[in-house]
Amino acid sequence: MLRKSDVEALSILCPSFPSPPPPREGEGLKLLRPSPLLLWVRLVTALFPRLELGRTSPSPLWGGGWGGAFVIGQARGGDFSSRTREGLVMQFGAPDFAADLARALDALGGVRVDIPVIQPAEPFLDMAGEDLRRRIFLTESETGESLCLRPEFTIPVCTAHIAENVGTPRRYGYLGQVFRQRRDGANEFFQAGVEDLGEPDEAAADARALSDARGLIAGFAPAADLSIILGDQAVFEAVVAGLGLPAGWQKRLIHAFGNEQALGAMIAKLASPEAAAVPDASVAGFLANGDVAGLEAHIEEVMQETGYSTNASRSPAEIAARLISKQTLDSTRLSARSLAALKAFLALDIPLDRAATALSEFARDAGLNISVAQQAFEARLAALKQRGEDLGSIRWRAAFGRPLDYYTGMVFEISASAENLVLAGGGRYDRMMTLLGAQEPIPAVGFSLWLDRIETVRAGR
Amino acid sequence: MTLTVALPSKGRMKDDAIAVFARAGLTVMAIGNDRSYRGRIEGIDGVEVAFLSASEIARELGAGAVDFGVTGEDLVREGLSRADERVEISARLGFGNADVVVAVPDIWKDVDSMADLGDVAADFRTRHGRRLTIATKYWRLTQNFFSTRHGIQLYRIVESLGATEGAPASGAADIIVDITSTGSTLTANHLRVLSDGVILRSEACLVRARKPEHDADPRVASLIDAVQSAS
Repeated sequence: MLRKSDVEALSILCPSFPSPPPPREGEGLKLLRPSPLLLWVRLVTALFPRLELGRTSPSPLWGGGWGGAFVIGQARGGDFSSRTREGLVMQFGAPDFAADLARALDALGGVRVDIPVIQPAEPFLDMAGEDLRRRIFLTESETGESLCLRPEFTIPVCTAHIAENVGTPRRYGYLGQVFRQRRDGANEFFQAGVEDLGEPDEAAADARALSDARGLIAGFAPAADLSIILGDQAVFEAVVAGLGLPAGWQKRLIHAFGNEQALGAMIAKLASPEAAAVPDASVAGFLANGDVAGLEAHIEEVMQETGYSTNASRSPAEIAARLISKQTLDSTRLSARSLAALKAFLALDIPLDRAATALSEFARDAGLNISVAQQAFEARLAALKQRGEDLGSIRWRAAFGRPLDYYTGMVFEISASAENLVLAGGGRYDRMMTLLGAQEPIPAVGFSLWLDRIETVRAGR
Repeated sequence: MTLTVALPSKGRMKDDAIAVFARAGLTVMAIGNDRSYRGRIEGIDGVEVAFLSASEIARELGAGAVDFGVTGEDLVREGLSRADERVEISARLGFGNADVVVAVPDIWKDVDSMADLGDVAADFRTRHGRRLTIATKYWRLTQNFFSTRHGIQLYRIVESLGATEGAPASGAADIIVDITSTGSTLTANHLRVLSDGVILRSEACLVRARKPEHDADPRVASLIDAVQSAS
């Protein structure tokens, strides 16, 4: 984790390293905290006042101000330093380009945040689901609170933003270690990224996130042959809505979007529905007569008789309503035409410069009105173009998404084609801020870079 | 090299395991007195019997600290990650039968299948401001079944080490994943197993830790053969 105080330490070591501007009153997150590094540097400079610090040539991309090859990051095992011919080189866990990357992130205009390594586990498990439990490092406080080693930055950045109650739009940047149990690769590695919270111009914010991520990777792994794929959940939602499916089915499909297997199974079921489950004899009469009030009263009565609270979990009204809608859900069959349209949509996989045409041709052929989603899609294309992105080198894959309920729009992934490594992932997660407790909806988009993989790709150049 | 066979240390499981071994011509003798936790098999040298608790047997098998063990498949699959790479089920013994199941309050008349439960879980946060909760002691089996098999991610596990069937009525959790043999406790607590809600049909098994030195050991093959023919 690059702390502001680490940066301060560097500026003592290397005078041409600019000190960070002091945070303005009442603004931003708590950034300053004395770091072991700073204390150590003060000690070293006190002991060796005339220490000459070596400089290497400025990096081609972020040259200018500071080009020293200092490795900064978290100290590992107390192995702080070694002397080289050029002077003093600090050895930490971060990749050697981390300092340059941190400066590059600052240059993108984000407020750099300091997120503690030890985090409450609840928000992560709540957002990503119970499956995450075996992929993170969990521990417990003495009082029984579930804690974990920071598995990623987006959730803590968002929670910190909500807690600080600062205005939007606001851009945050981060660089630090994350901890995850992986079958392949180290369990602790570095990530860096940006979160844009509350930017009302969504097309511009989407384009900026993708463009910044690509720019950073191109800067730090210039030899990598990048492949970029983009998906858009909002377009899928519009297509599903246009097919005229019952609301329950729309929800199912949207929920499975991004999980090819689950989505495939659902589409198969829509093509040939099984016989609807026969409703339980105790409720069949109410259903046959369409007696909603009677059904609710019956459920409530049974719950009370059997000692089930009617408000701790699902309520009688909720059960009754779903029981009624389920009668249509089970027997819903998608027409051959709609089924063909859905499959044709999910098979779309074309360069972004032809995506707008392909999408409107699809909508026309399928007879769907998805113009609102189409406009947003095209606005994003225009914004990407305006930022100078080469649309021909980005692929739009209609079925590409993330099956988590807080993702809402664009998602993207940038990979090194030759190494087949995902170097960056990003997306729009408009639903997360309210799930985390924000009082009002805050649009959000961001991306994260995998520094260990970028390092691998750099090493291969 | 001594082969170690771990057997349950008490109760029906212990008696039934010793009975199967006896039918296989393997008479288990406790060393010293009847309460001793060490034993041997009559007439066979170099085979040691260790009496352990059933869940400890699964763990010791996973660690390779014992060569064979008699324990429930549920404990093996719950206790060990990537169980099939580490142990092998050599024989199913026909006792200790119990199913690990997903059960919901019977009054959830709209929930018959895991697909229904998936719908309910997806909507739960919006309706109730929290995720669907599952009371269970089977963390691993639940996660595998819900996430991998049924694509259901959005739920939370509430650990329950006993009287799990009471959790939905008391409000401690919405549904349960638990072991059942006759289903009578579930019925008594107004719970119902989903039509496709059987996670595992478990029974006591002779389980072997996968160790390379077993391949060349004739005692291993003959012990498996004997128990298989008796079960």
